[in-house]
Amino acid sequence: MTRTQHTARVLIAVFATTMLVATACAPGGPAASSAPTATAAASPTPQQGGRVIQGDISDIATMQPVLVNDTSSGRITTLLYDTILLQDPKTGEPTPRMATYSISSDGLTYTFELKPNTNWSDGKPIVAQDWLTGLLAVGKSAKTVRKSNFQDIQGFNDFKDAKATTITGVTLDTANPKKWTVKMAKVSCPAIIQLIGYVLPTQVFGKYVTATSKPEDIDNAPENTNPTVFSGPFTFKEWRKGDQVILGKNTTYWQGAPNVDEYVVKVLANQTAITNGLKTGELTFGTIPAKDLADMQTVDSVTITKYQNLGYTFIGWNTASPSAVGLADKRVRQALAYGIDMDAVIKAVVFGEATKQVAHHVPVQWAYPSVALEPYKYDKAKAQQLLKDAGWTPGSDGMLVNAAGKKFNLTISTNSGNQERETLAQVAADQYKQLGINAVSKPEAFQGLVTKLTTGDQTLEATIIGWSLGGDPDPYQIWHSSQIPNPATKVEGFGFTFFKDPAMDKAIEQGRNPTDGNCSTAARKANYETFNKILNENQPYNFGYSNNVLQVSQKSLQNFAPAPFQTVYNVEQWWIKK
Amino acid sequence: MRNFILRRLVYAIPTLIGISIITFVIVRMSPGDPIRLFTFGQRDITGEDIARLRHAYGLDKPIPLQYVDWLIAMLQLNFGQSFIYHQDAFQLLLTRVPATLQLAVVALGIQLLIGVPLGVIAALKRGTWADGVIRVFGVVGHAVPAFWLGLVLIIVFAVQLRWLPSQGLLTVGKDVWDLPDRLRHILLPAFVLSLTGIANYSRILRTETLDVLSQDFVRTAHAKGLHERTVVFVHALRNALIPVVTALGGILAALVGGALVVEQVFSWPGVGQFTFQAAIAKDYPIVQAATMFVSVLLVVSYLLRDIAYAIVDPRIKAG
Repeated sequence: MTRTQHTARVLIAVFATTMLVATACAPGGPAASSAPTATAAASPTPQQGGRVIQGDISDIATMQPVLVNDTSSGRITTLLYDTILLQDPKTGEPTPRMATYSISSDGLTYTFELKPNTNWSDGKPIVAQDWLTGLLAVGKSAKTVRKSNFQDIQGFNDFKDAKATTITGVTLDTANPKKWTVKMAKVSCPAIIQLIGYVLPTQVFGKYVTATSKPEDIDNAPENTNPTVFSGPFTFKEWRKGDQVILGKNTTYWQGAPNVDEYVVKVLANQTAITNGLKTGELTFGTIPAKDLADMQTVDSVTITKYQNLGYTFIGWNTASPSAVGLADKRVRQALAYGIDMDAVIKAVVFGEATKQVAHHVPVQWAYPSVALEPYKYDKAKAQQLLKDAGWTPGSDGMLVNAAGKKFNLTISTNSGNQERETLAQVAADQYKQLGINAVSKPEAFQGLVTKLTTGDQTLEATIIGWSLGGDPDPYQIWHSSQIPNPATKVEGFGFTFFKDPAMDKAIEQGRNPTDGNCSTAARKANYETFNKILNENQPYNFGYSNNVLQVSQKSLQNFAPAPFQTVYNVEQWWIKK
Repeated sequence: MRNFILRRLVYAIPTLIGISIITFVIVRMSPGDPIRLFTFGQRDITGEDIARLRHAYGLDKPIPLQYVDWLIAMLQLNFGQSFIYHQDAFQLLLTRVPATLQLAVVALGIQLLIGVPLGVIAALKRGTWADGVIRVFGVVGHAVPAFWLGLVLIIVFAVQLRWLPSQGLLTVGKDVWDLPDRLRHILLPAFVLSLTGIANYSRILRTETLDVLSQDFVRTAHAKGLHERTVVFVHALRNALIPVVTALGGILAALVGGALVVEQVFSWPGVGQFTFQAAIAKDYPIVQAATMFVSVLLVVSYLLRDIAYAIVDPRIKAG
């Protein structure tokens, strides 16, 4: 067979196949097979040179850490500016990076000391003042969303409100320029993660955070989009907007120069483009959706690494809904947990690439409870009994009605365009119909949904959405009763289930601001077990599932070891096998 | 002619003001709030933070006042700062224009290079199998969704055959002036973007050529014993092309505006993709800057079209 004939046959075969695929109905879920293990052990002699190309569906917005409010920008700034502490990639616990730290016995004073060999790319040593410059930048900026992270530092609020020109709680060690202390106004367990803050080169940004600087000075600084001095493993080379960001290796990086010459973030329009780029080898690594896993497993040139996502997708019940009154009853919400076969849903919606959730924290977090929680295994009979106990009995048409003759109608809203959530809403509605609940799914624009949720719009009865959980397991923002929105007083918040429980509030408060000052992992975990047990029993959410992250990398990429809390933490050790 | 152009330019002003009002109102009336969107799920965000951000972006003023502020600034080419990028919205938009123009111009070239000959062939071979194939192609070209065709072409030519790249406008690491590499990247998106135009041109040219071929001057040319090729290409085609040439002005603007889907499928960093993402993120300044940019482009290109018409047919100028 000639080359032309062969090509023609390939073309015809491929075209016919794609036509079939394109015209077929929804794809049947490929059986999830066990993923290959992560990249092979590191070679003792890494090869120098080459380029890492990461696929991302969003362009970066800024390279100023203080202004970052998106994942893509966050990842780039991490590569340009190193941090004083790093969350352990697997456990999330804070570990020393550029600095070591200690906490006073009363839990109010934090002492940090930068390692002696930490330096900027221009040769200057990194000093305590650089961390303070980052904090001053947060205080000055009008456009940062990070101010509240530092509200417990003594004097920070006065500084941000322009009532003071310094932050009284921060003291730089006059004898040791690499050492400083931070005094907190109250004990705050999440503080250690928040105090990681931002280390900015004072020789660059110092002029934007003087006593007379205006907010726009730091917000519009040219170095925010064209940085010049770096502490991270890479330096900035070029930003081709909407297309790629090109970083070069920092030859003076304090942990040793990276093995690869360049790190490029290639911006792609959607997840499908990332999958294609990984298949063709145009990308070195990127994440893929579960629907592409079976296809990707047929590609010989890549390695697939799976780990659990630091977040979950859930159905939130409006327990104060004036239209779906049944949701106020704990037994009904429990019935809604027993009455949905979440394992089957996971297979149908995310091809088995997720773990069922029955409480707020996910298993990869240290706060995940060790005590047994009710697993809410699918049990239709039990669900029907609970509904009957709650006063919902089948009417003449088989659909549930209460004593007042009101039908159990339930609208499950979710953000349109998110295929996974739309499918989940449809499957959930179908399963609840089998219980006699008149459930329907309703996709609507994410932008509008967010406003409805945070303002406590009572037209929402049930909502499918997801949480990305932060570095610290503190659930205050989502579950404390102070976060319940109130449309009458225009108070906004993320407590859109309107569920509250004094014991749960107390557990959250003790896990965040313990009266005994004990911020140990063990002490906090005990509080979070109480918190999760209350949630597990009361089911203000059907906690849904936590997806697997599917990281795909070319086999030539060595030492790539992503984990739930970090992906690029060891990027300087990555190398390309030629 | 000068009065004609001036009159058209004066007409354009209320059109653009109308577009600016409609865009401004629609963008702000659409569901959702940009600040709530940015801060959704943000740890420890407070009502005070949200109020401060809303003030920083000028969103705490009444909408009519916001519009007046925006209009005054826009007249000085200041479209405000992007909520997401914290940079000048118009400057950001301009960085995307070359990619879209590049795609639109190449697509236009493909449309003409393929569409015109197909139309002429269909007319000359009227009633034959060639005419039938071209007419079917014309229908299919209109009917096939761009996103579907784009994905199929990517699977075939990029993923399976590895002949062409699957996305972007340049291979990572290549110089921005590497023309062969750029050509390889633009081939698939430009073809997909041009498909409707090819179908249009072949249909218009077929009809026009058939019409011209039946006119007296063509019969006269035949009677004079001119070669068939001379009759078709020198006499008939020149006349048949007039509607195509006059329509070109509007088509470039339509291509720029219509490249959204193609840019999304091929990750082409142009105006369409940028605007789409800004609309999703409710980045008002960028959406408004992009809408005004495309509107001005359309108004100017329609003006050029009208001028071309006026040159071809002076009766229009008089009217």
